[in-house]
Amino acid sequence: MAAGLIGALAGVGGGILVIPALTILFGVDIHLAIGASIVSVIATSSGAAAAYVRDRMTDMRVGMFLELATTTGAVCGALLASVVAPALLYVLLGLVLLGSAGMHVSRMGEETPPTDPPSELALRLRLTSSYPDRKLGREVPYSARRIPLGFALMWGAGMVSGLLGIGSGVLKVLAMDGAMRLPMKVSSATSNFMIGVTAAASAGIYLGRGDVDPQVAAPVALGVLAGALVGARLLHHISNRTVRLVFLPVLVVVGLETIARGLGFGI
Amino acid sequence: MTPEKFRAMVSTVLIVGVAISAALIGVGFVGALAVGWHGSLVGGAASSGATTDFSNLPGRLATLEPAAISQLGLATLLATPVARVAASVAGFALERDRLYATITLAVLLILLTSIFVLR
Repeated sequence: MAAGLIGALAGVGGGILVIPALTILFGVDIHLAIGASIVSVIATSSGAAAAYVRDRMTDMRVGMFLELATTTGAVCGALLASVVAPALLYVLLGLVLLGSAGMHVSRMGEETPPTDPPSELALRLRLTSSYPDRKLGREVPYSARRIPLGFALMWGAGMVSGLLGIGSGVLKVLAMDGAMRLPMKVSSATSNFMIGVTAAASAGIYLGRGDVDPQVAAPVALGVLAGALVGARLLHHISNRTVRLVFLPVLVVVGLETIARGLGFGI
Repeated sequence: MTPEKFRAMVSTVLIVGVAISAALIGVGFVGALAVGWHGSLVGGAASSGATTDFSNLPGRLATLEPAAISQLGLATLLATPVARVAASVAGFALERDRLYATITLAVLLILLTSIFVLR
């Protein structure tokens, strides 16, 4: 449940919590734990996104446009999986995540992004919008910046998912918040919307491999769903700053966990 | 189609997918507590095999095997994001947003390819 709650708020799948909890606390086999985490990512995503989409927190155009990048990236990643050494990749990814934690801290005080006029490309792709912020009590306008950079980062995030079999919600939030300068809540809600699709793309592989065990995944799915539904209600009532505060430890833990995995300490 | 209706439709697809899968997973889970994962809720013979084996789902569903009910729920959950993308294609098309209907259709095709072709 905690995984669903944090996942819904931070815009990431519950995998970072679900995998260590199952393997360390319950002694579950790592493959079944990863299978359960894929299920939990989709449960978090679908459960929370249902509310976020209805309440205009999710930017569906940004989401669909960037899913073009993540899905093609994921296919390329899956095709390259046998060629690239994963160890080095894990370490690099971990360093990128820890590095971006610094940028994230520097943005901590920023409640809404700067409102410069939208670029030509943003207008043409209709990537300008606004979201209702109940905490601030007003409509907050925004427009996507540095779209090519965001698209490239998303492609990289998809590639990483395909190569390493992870959801990469953290990278998605970083691309939207850090590069495209979308408001933190919109980044989180839109990442939430997208991670289900990324996970679904690889779900068939995990099912076929026998990594999805109802004995493990059924209780996890029910708990995570309950958490995600609570988390999705909470997002309205907290500030962008608080969402950043929830996201920061997730970023650091995932960064360290990823490096540890690359160096051969299995979690 | 207005943007509000579009959002409501996508949201409904997600809620229905989540509700159906949660109900099935829950029934299977409670059933497993009662008769075991491989038992039968209608008193049939217990099946064998691993709970990770999704084969012969219809046959095992016919005897109301808890593992099969939960598996159907898990499969429904995994299919929910795909249904959401498919609903978005229809939504953008009805909004007459050609650009995004095309983008979303491309995402759907890539998604289906990766699920059914790349194994």
